[in-house]
Amino acid sequence: MSERWSGFSYIVTNLARFVRPGEVTFSGVNSTPPMLACLLAKRAYDFDFVYLNVAGGVQPRPSKIPLSSSDPVLAQGSAAIFANEDFYDLCTRGGMDLCFLGAAQIDGHGRTNVSVIGDWHRPKVRLPGGGGGAVMLPTARRAVTWRTEHSTRTLVDRLDFVTAAGPLHGVATPIAVFVERGGRLALQSWHPQVSLAEVRRRTGFAFDAAGAGPTPFPAAREAAALRCLDPDGRFERDANVSID
Amino acid sequence: MPPTPSTGTTVIPLADMAARVPDGASVALGGSFLHRGPFAFVRELIRQRKRDLEIIKQSPGYDIDILCRAGCVARARAGIVAMEGNFGLAPWYRRAVETQRIALEEHACMTLTAGLRAAAFGVPFQPVGGVHGSDLAALNRWASITDPYGSGGDVWVIPAIRPDIAVIHVNEATEHGDARVRGTSHWDRILTRAARQVFVVAEALAPTAAFEDRPELTLVPGFLVQAVSVAPNGAWPGSCWPRYDVDYPAVEDYLDAARPLDAHLERAPEAAEPARV
Repeated sequence: MSERWSGFSYIVTNLARFVRPGEVTFSGVNSTPPMLACLLAKRAYDFDFVYLNVAGGVQPRPSKIPLSSSDPVLAQGSAAIFANEDFYDLCTRGGMDLCFLGAAQIDGHGRTNVSVIGDWHRPKVRLPGGGGGAVMLPTARRAVTWRTEHSTRTLVDRLDFVTAAGPLHGVATPIAVFVERGGRLALQSWHPQVSLAEVRRRTGFAFDAAGAGPTPFPAAREAAALRCLDPDGRFERDANVSID
Repeated sequence: MPPTPSTGTTVIPLADMAARVPDGASVALGGSFLHRGPFAFVRELIRQRKRDLEIIKQSPGYDIDILCRAGCVARARAGIVAMEGNFGLAPWYRRAVETQRIALEEHACMTLTAGLRAAAFGVPFQPVGGVHGSDLAALNRWASITDPYGSGGDVWVIPAIRPDIAVIHVNEATEHGDARVRGTSHWDRILTRAARQVFVVAEALAPTAAFEDRPELTLVPGFLVQAVSVAPNGAWPGSCWPRYDVDYPAVEDYLDAARPLDAHLERAPEAAEPARV
């Protein structure tokens, strides 16, 4: 095992590790890392789970891995189309076990902002907006997000706007994995190339790190699955993730 | 072609379809991000210099961006807006909101859908799951009601959203407006039930007999549809499964602010091959 672990692989692999046997798991729009994580879990793990996606896919076998995580190729090989209203209704009635949702800012309560930087009415940056979060985060059994940048800009003490409240079940960044504990995000593990002190310095909210340690390196099958999904490193390059 | 007496649907050129959209209309657009959006129709709105439109869509991207770039939009009601793929935010939309040139009603995709469901169901508002703890509720002055049947639970209710016109891009349609799509229908079904009028832009016309053989595959029955137009490759630069994929270089060209919008419009398939009747 190499002693180096890229931030991109760290995020995708740790998102995949949230997937559990037999559960209904969903990846949505604007969500390349979770799309790759679900496809990685299908290849790397011995258990089965129900993979749904925003392209209507139900246990799909896509013939290629698309740049867009809502590309219709993600429904290829499905025996059914489970379209948008279907998967949202499934979620709100309690049938979505694991839902991956995007976020721009995350706070220590496991809430997210995908709406705006600055005042909503006088935005400094208008972000994509509500999306799935406000409805899926509170109703999915577990909701997990990721950030490609781990900093006090993205992991904040105070959100500019609360788009969705949960709490989140988990967060993966290039250097850390958080899980919910008692209504707060707690550190589960950190990237073996960084220190706990660095994670604290780069996180805007206070967190409990009891029991946390370095994240286990990718298993051979996890690493092989990601190489298979991204053979020429295109996704890795496009994601442009640094652990620094 | 004369109107079909039984339904009032007519097959018309794309330009005539766009001409039926008055300035200030509320227009719901089908598809999602770069996939099966009625983009040829949207470009035709721009060519006809429409103004003050309200755009309704759960996940717009290229469509709302290019309409903002051309100055056609006064108001947007949307869930998530982005170019997607690796393109990130929709730049002209973003600038239009940041400079307050357009008014945004920000939704979650499912709260917008709840409003559309209220319109489709013929009721003034519609409960929606979730939303608890979100600032969107206060921002939009949404109400919460207690279960009148005594469970003790509260539910957020979204007021009806009734677009003037829903426009969807489909794989095939009959001359009567019956429409079929391949792959996911995205949100197209609820849009076509909520809107006052429905326009269908099709990759191709199909014989009615083929639809009659498999009526369960029809997403929209023709009697709900006021106008049909044919625009091959009309979802360009997006995809229309399984006929064509996203044209990523064309999206990159579109996003290059140094390139004039007119050059992009001239490059579009419907400009090279005017929509056939």
